[in-house]
Amino acid sequence: MKKFLDYAGIDEERLVLKWVSSAEGPRFAQVVTDFVEKIRKLGPSPLRARPVKEEAG
Amino acid sequence: MIEEIKEHVKRLLDEGTISGFLGLKDQHGTIVPHLYKTSDDLDDGFSIGATEGGAPARYPMASLIMTIATTYENGKVGVLLRGCDERALNELLRWNQIPEAADRIVRVGFACKKELAEAHECRKPFPDECIAGEKTEPVSNASLKELESMDVTGRLNYWLREFDRCIKCYGCRDVCPVCFCNVCTLEEDSLIRTGDLPPENPMFHLTRAVHMAGRCIDCNLCTEVCPAEIPLRTLYKKVAEIVNHG
Repeated sequence: MKKFLDYAGIDEERLVLKWVSSAEGPRFAQVVTDFVEKIRKLGPSPLRARPVKEEAG
Repeated sequence: MIEEIKEHVKRLLDEGTISGFLGLKDQHGTIVPHLYKTSDDLDDGFSIGATEGGAPARYPMASLIMTIATTYENGKVGVLLRGCDERALNELLRWNQIPEAADRIVRVGFACKKELAEAHECRKPFPDECIAGEKTEPVSNASLKELESMDVTGRLNYWLREFDRCIKCYGCRDVCPVCFCNVCTLEEDSLIRTGDLPPENPMFHLTRAVHMAGRCIDCNLCTEVCPAEIPLRTLYKKVAEIVNHG
């Protein structure tokens, strides 16, 4: 999936795949917190720069 | 080459091995798929379609025969197959799309000419068993390398430029011999907003690309029919490469 994103021109760092058990609440929180921090550092996605179409109607 | 195939099919029909044959027919200059019922029918415009590239006269024979074989109740039915058609048929069998009718299909394969194989960068321009034609060398492709040499922003810009020409005709999906889902993600409004032109990019095309993982048999029909000339196959080729080689 990461290789595919890279080929499509999207930074593969924007995707994270991690295995977290339902018994690992704190670990889940940590994984998400780390990823949110990482994404904040990377800044908005290059796709956000595209004009967003207005909803019809 | 065409005469050899015609004779072979006539024999199959006359012997009663098959009661129908899905081939192509030249109808007033237009090549269309046709189900031949008798050997006499074959004398009227029988065609094998494109031979040298250029004119796009290939059809997804595998998906056509799948529909025919599952509804046909009159014994066995033959089908004209190129290398790509055979790969597609094998793929449909592998996905169990022709459960009861698989043994009713009789394959009549032929090898494509070198010119056609090169025009489509074909990885195997012949089926395992050929009635006619000479097996030519597989053609490797350079299209992937060119893209891989760009940086990630360059690639994004490249794909967005290509995708934004899309008129969302669904031609790539409709012609695809291995697209067999009854319900299509691309028409599901909650996943990809419908009614927009160009479609929601790059999601529309990337979604289709992911669905092609492990299925695409690299026949180039999608790219050939695309009115906007989007190099879809280059995208699906990469997906196949990742699935097959990691």
